[in-house]
Amino acid sequence: MKVSCIIPAYNEEKNIAAAIANVRPFVNEIIVIDDGSSDQSFALAKAAGAITLQHLINRGQGAALRTGTEYALNNGADIIIHFDADNQFQASEIPDLLQPIINKEAEAVLGSRFLEKKSQLPWGKKYLIMPLARLVNRLFFGIKLSDPQSGFRVLSRQTAEKIKIENDGMAHCSEILYQLFKNHSKIVEVPITVTYYHYGQKFSGGLKIIGDLIIQKIIK
Amino acid sequence: MLQQILALAVIIFFISRLVQQKRKNQISKNELSLWLIFWIIAAAAIIFIHQIDQLVARLGFSGAAINILVYLVVVALIYQVFRLRLTIARLEKDLSQINQYLTLKK
Repeated sequence: MKVSCIIPAYNEEKNIAAAIANVRPFVNEIIVIDDGSSDQSFALAKAAGAITLQHLINRGQGAALRTGTEYALNNGADIIIHFDADNQFQASEIPDLLQPIINKEAEAVLGSRFLEKKSQLPWGKKYLIMPLARLVNRLFFGIKLSDPQSGFRVLSRQTAEKIKIENDGMAHCSEILYQLFKNHSKIVEVPITVTYYHYGQKFSGGLKIIGDLIIQKIIK
Repeated sequence: MLQQILALAVIIFFISRLVQQKRKNQISKNELSLWLIFWIIAAAAIIFIHQIDQLVARLGFSGAAINILVYLVVVALIYQVFRLRLTIARLEKDLSQINQYLTLKK
């Protein structure tokens, strides 16, 4: 069973080599999509032994994941992992997320920061942004999950083939969840630990996600 | 009077920016002309606001009618901005597709 890990990277020269080294023991191949970085991310990922693809221009995390997922599917991946380049996820938790798919208990496994394992989320994220994101997911898409915006996910090949990521930016998280629910995919949430080195998505970013989802719906 | 002076100051600021952009060759001569005409008309409208007011009143327009006209123009502008946003979104989507195609083709 071929397990491919997709790591989108934009100006991640400080973290990319470590991320690749951490993930390597748990997967068959690592595909890094350098999303038009202006630093040494691409060269460092290549030197670290990952399959490296390069976007000519920066298009956003969603676009990078789309490119990586398509590449992985074209090259025979059976299981696809979406992972971040900034080392905020624990690579050692990959087997926990792989297990339900290997055991055929799930078609998509989503990492959750709100189950047994407790991540040290910034206050604003925990009590303002995430509850709001949960509410938006619930109201607009009928999605009920503990973590509305986790980027750590594992998809079976069949599930990944059905998902079409249209949003180039950060709205891809909600979009993937929506498509998983729409396709009636068997979803399992698995607790993960996230270490925050920087704040990440702010409230304004959340509003942009909502705007992007609406625009995407209109132009579709 | 103060409002007119402030509005004219804003227009002068934008005209000076235009001139700077032209000096740096960031805009073409035609673009400069277009925006200059636009701002000069806007400045003229501010300077001769009372005369325009009298003219509009003589033509039979009431204050309420002009207000409605302004509201309609604002709605039309919002609509145009929204359409532009959609056009940009479509272009961005196309751009991403080309980008992905080139990346996977390599």
